Amino acid sequence: MAGIASYGVYVPPTRLAFATIGGKPPKEGEVGPERSVAWNDEDAITMGVAAGTECLRGFDRAGVDAVFFASTTQPFREKQAAALVAKALGLRRDVATADHAGSLRAGLAALRAGFDAVAAGSARRVLVIAADCRLAAPGSGLERSFGDGAAAFLLADADPIARFEGGFAVADELVDLWRSERDRFVHSWEERFVLQEGYTPYLLEAVRGLLERSGAAVGNFAKVALFAPDERSHAGAARALRIDRERLVDPLFGRLGNTGAAFAPMLLVSALENARPGERLLVAGTGDGADALGLRATEHVEKLEPRRGLAWHLARRRPVRSYERYLKARGLDAREWEAGGDPGLSATIHFREREEDIALTGQRCRRCGAHQFPRQRVCESCFAKDDFELVRLADKTGRVVTYTFDFFFPTPDPPTIVAVVEVEGARLHMQLVDAAPQQARIGLPVEFRFRRIHQVGGRPNYYWKAVPVPGGETR
Amino acid sequence: MSEGIRDKVAVVGVGCCQFGENWDQSPSDMIVDAAYEAYQDAGIEDPQRQIDAVFTGSLYSQKGPHECSDALKLWKPVTMVSNYCATGTDAFRCGVMSIACGLYETVLVVGYDKPKDRGVSGPSVMMNQVRDLPQTPAGWFALCAATYFEKYGAGREELAKIAVKNHHNGTLAPKSFLKREITVKDVLEARLISWPFGLYDCAAQTDGAAAAVLTRADRARSYRADPVLVKAVTVHAGPNPQKDPGNDFLSWKPTTWAAAEAYRQAGISDPRAEIDVAQLHDCFTLTELLSYEDLGFCEKGSAKEHIASGAFELGGELPVNTDGGLKTFGHPTGATGVRMIYENVLQLQGRAGERQVKDARLALSHNIGGHPTACGIAILGRE
Repeated sequence: MAGIASYGVYVPPTRLAFATIGGKPPKEGEVGPERSVAWNDEDAITMGVAAGTECLRGFDRAGVDAVFFASTTQPFREKQAAALVAKALGLRRDVATADHAGSLRAGLAALRAGFDAVAAGSARRVLVIAADCRLAAPGSGLERSFGDGAAAFLLADADPIARFEGGFAVADELVDLWRSERDRFVHSWEERFVLQEGYTPYLLEAVRGLLERSGAAVGNFAKVALFAPDERSHAGAARALRIDRERLVDPLFGRLGNTGAAFAPMLLVSALENARPGERLLVAGTGDGADALGLRATEHVEKLEPRRGLAWHLARRRPVRSYERYLKARGLDAREWEAGGDPGLSATIHFREREEDIALTGQRCRRCGAHQFPRQRVCESCFAKDDFELVRLADKTGRVVTYTFDFFFPTPDPPTIVAVVEVEGARLHMQLVDAAPQQARIGLPVEFRFRRIHQVGGRPNYYWKAVPVPGGETR
Repeated sequence: MSEGIRDKVAVVGVGCCQFGENWDQSPSDMIVDAAYEAYQDAGIEDPQRQIDAVFTGSLYSQKGPHECSDALKLWKPVTMVSNYCATGTDAFRCGVMSIACGLYETVLVVGYDKPKDRGVSGPSVMMNQVRDLPQTPAGWFALCAATYFEKYGAGREELAKIAVKNHHNGTLAPKSFLKREITVKDVLEARLISWPFGLYDCAAQTDGAAAAVLTRADRARSYRADPVLVKAVTVHAGPNPQKDPGNDFLSWKPTTWAAAEAYRQAGISDPRAEIDVAQLHDCFTLTELLSYEDLGFCEKGSAKEHIASGAFELGGELPVNTDGGLKTFGHPTGATGVRMIYENVLQLQGRAGERQVKDARLALSHNIGGHPTACGIAILGRE
């Protein structure tokens, strides 16, 4: 019979006090309502690895046959998190891996899939990790109710601390919370709609379905862990299900926050940490429907090797000193490019070369009369030094000296015709545009057009390009 | 006139790692492969005692001194050289000069580069300045094609024969990357990179490292019985040919200048007759063709006749790129010049296996790079 052999949990140490969101710096020794915050070097994957490390404490890592990673915020759209987590945890190379994503129910769904794999015998030990690090718009209600964290479970068929006794699932379509491909922030429809048509009916349907299927009453469960978007809806659901306060797992609002796909799994860890042998546990969560799972603690539950549990993590606090620092850590402060990223072409080089690049200015040697481009200190022909006059070449006509068709240069429509153009004896290496490749020939008369050349640095950069003289005649 | 460098310095050991897309090797791994092979070749058992200094060449890495001393655990003076495609030859030149002037007795030269760690399949497109564009190395080196073809009547078929030759030679070199025979048809039908260069006209892009141990000529026989002597070494730089109003786009001037100096140092008056084997910079097929002429192996404009006659093939009058060249070894820029020294030393010592040139006594290696603006030439000979 499949069950949970071990668990682990992780809460990032950083806390954002609601008062700090409102602009008040935290006071020494004073703890008010707050949420957990993954700092700028943490994400779903790093938190998942931390929870997985706690979970595997005292267990042989070579015995893990599969890893399921659940999150709505794994950093890659394409690229598996489970394989990365498996590598970070030092698991076997021939481990089966899969990501569960896209729904707040992903954590419970991964747990069910893990139990199924163990029950079916396709894996003896499955590591299930749920982690989330959701971003809400600055100043929004969701920003306060969200939290960041991770939970991990090692599922096994032998000697579990809690046996899986069955689940019940409901699936439905509802636009309540969502984040589309292009969105940074989680969006929510009107809160009352979300609660009345989404969260509450889904949760009740799944819990009641599980009770009916297992022939149990809610009073048979010693610990009930319920996902909820916030404190009020949690209390409402508990009331509707007639769950006594002492059986209800503390949802930790004002301390942890709603940790998304990891939330119900983290509350299950809390339930397991306090479970006695023989006690029945219920965990349920919503998201495009709902899942409810029933478990029963075994005699092994009190023998698990001590680990850094939820209480340890919650006691370890580092308050964010100001809301601005939170915004910076999450990359939400106003800036045009990432610090250390590419600021584009050097503005000082652009400044020095604006005569050449923008005005297509060359020079004429006063001693030998040779034209050259760009401006330079020593004459290409007679080696005279600093004895030149500026010559604007942009309005003159030139001729192609040589050319090539560059298929490698990034352009929407290759090839790029690249030519050396002679104008007044000066040589310019430039693109030949507004011309078909078959028009390119040595001696082709060209004139010059001011064009965008590329967008390095995220801004348009300009230079001149050669175009065939209409009619081919030199003015 | 200077006293010159001829016969003052000897190469007593060479090493070369396997060139390729060395995904699982760091620069240090390749440096160790090359340097330890060179140690063994020279009979060096205690590098800490026997090596006085290191000269390293790398274009992509800016950490040469650190990477070499850390990889080899040498507590020695280390100099890093960077000079476009002539980087490896320039590191070799610096090592030669340090011995000739009496500063050191025995030095290690290491050329290496790791372009395959950058995530691009070809060379970089330069994006430093507005006017750097549109420029790719293929685009720079292709600029002599339209002019040369028009004046001398050669075309893509002549270029293709160079690629076919080098691919064949590469199949005979254990450490080359590409080991596959190709046909002229393959070359002509491949996708174009920058006209007239198709894919097979371009050198491969690889990681690699090569090394050489140099010592005073009068001490060379304490290392091995068949040392190879440095007859000439030079690196010439020149202004950007694309804006040079006097450029005819029929040759690359840095090679012409460097060749004159190298032949003066070595006392060579008829390179075609005197040189037995040559490694030329075939970053693109046309670069090798122009180099035949710019190095004086044949008259300007006559290369196609000599290509047709097979003069530069293995078994020809003057075999060129006996190991397959940049075409099949790829071009980890800092390594290339030293990799050519490796091949020439093997040829001069009769250790080149199936690709051995019979009784080779004088060998030339050549690099040209930049726009192109830098040329390195080294000439080695038997005692």
